[in-house]
Amino acid sequence: MPGAAEALTEALGDGWADGYRGAAELERPLMDAVRRCVVRWGLRKTTLEDIAREAGVGRATVYRAFPGGKERLADAVLCHEVVRLFEQCDLALAAADTLDELVVTGVSAALGVMTEDEVVRSILTHEPELVLPRFAFHQLDRFLDVAAALCRPHLSRFLPEAAVRPASDLLARLVLSFGFRPPDWFDARDPDAIHRLVRTYALPAINPPEVSPS
Amino acid sequence: MARDGIGKLTVEGVAREAGVARATVYRTFPGGRDELVDAAVAWAVGEFFTGLAQDIGPVDGVATLLERGLMAGRRRLAQHEVLQHALQVEADAVVPALAPVMPKVLDELRSGLADRLREENLRPGVDPAEAADILARLVLSLIGTPGCWDLDDPAAVRALVRDHLLAGVLANPGQ
Repeated sequence: MPGAAEALTEALGDGWADGYRGAAELERPLMDAVRRCVVRWGLRKTTLEDIAREAGVGRATVYRAFPGGKERLADAVLCHEVVRLFEQCDLALAAADTLDELVVTGVSAALGVMTEDEVVRSILTHEPELVLPRFAFHQLDRFLDVAAALCRPHLSRFLPEAAVRPASDLLARLVLSFGFRPPDWFDARDPDAIHRLVRTYALPAINPPEVSPS
Repeated sequence: MARDGIGKLTVEGVAREAGVARATVYRTFPGGRDELVDAAVAWAVGEFFTGLAQDIGPVDGVATLLERGLMAGRRRLAQHEVLQHALQVEADAVVPALAPVMPKVLDELRSGLADRLREENLRPGVDPAEAADILARLVLSLIGTPGCWDLDDPAAVRALVRDHLLAGVLANPGQ
């Protein structure tokens, strides 16, 4: 199974954005420096010089890592968070014995990042205008492609080929919506709430009887 | 806004276009440019969904309502020249401007859908308000970005609504 970074690079074959693609291969110390800068100063005010200083590397290194420059930093951070999410839960996803377990694991991890990760929270709270456009209208298509590439190896263990893309599409939309604007009836930190969301609403939507394996 | 885009909208420009003094614009929109943009976007969104409701017309059953809403919504968005232009050239300004308005749209949509669902035969364990919330979110997302679904094809939309969106919600989504 290809790693999350490889799957992402492949999905973005036509070049989503230089920054975004480059970030998939970035080394952890540099991205950790970016995360610290973003929490401290915000995405808009963080410069590539800040990142170089924080990471203790030369400016040239940072400019090489972010060929899209500061303009693409938001994409780079988003990309990194998505890859990190999938790398972190890759083993748990691969270990899932049922579709139910797989989706509960994936939805919990994704909502966890969106509602609790310090960097993601900071951006969504203070500078949502820098990232929201990536998740709406035609720009959302790219993210749906990324989600499909990352979910495919896992979903295809339980779903027929024709049902995989529709499933990743609907799950990605659900998670994004719940993460950006949590409903008042749903607590993403409550495992029972996630189980109920997945079993009652998500699973029947992604695994309809017509296309389920016999 | 249609001619110059959101990014170039100014109080001066609006005053000139309307043939009124700048002070008149500021009396109506004391917050200046930001308030002007918010008001214009809220107005455009309201107009979009009012028109959509007219396109859909009276409908029996939540499945047909969703099918018509998805198709008409997609069509209306595709034909909306101002919005299409804005999304092509200044999505980074349009999307944040929509952010304050969309919760109200979502509220309206989910309360309407919840009323509809209370008249339907639901699967065991399904709460109409929760299901309506999820459906409203997915429908808005799909109209904005169809993704892997062909919202111009009635058969594909029927499958999306009955085999996916309502599969967990209605006891008999196929009917």
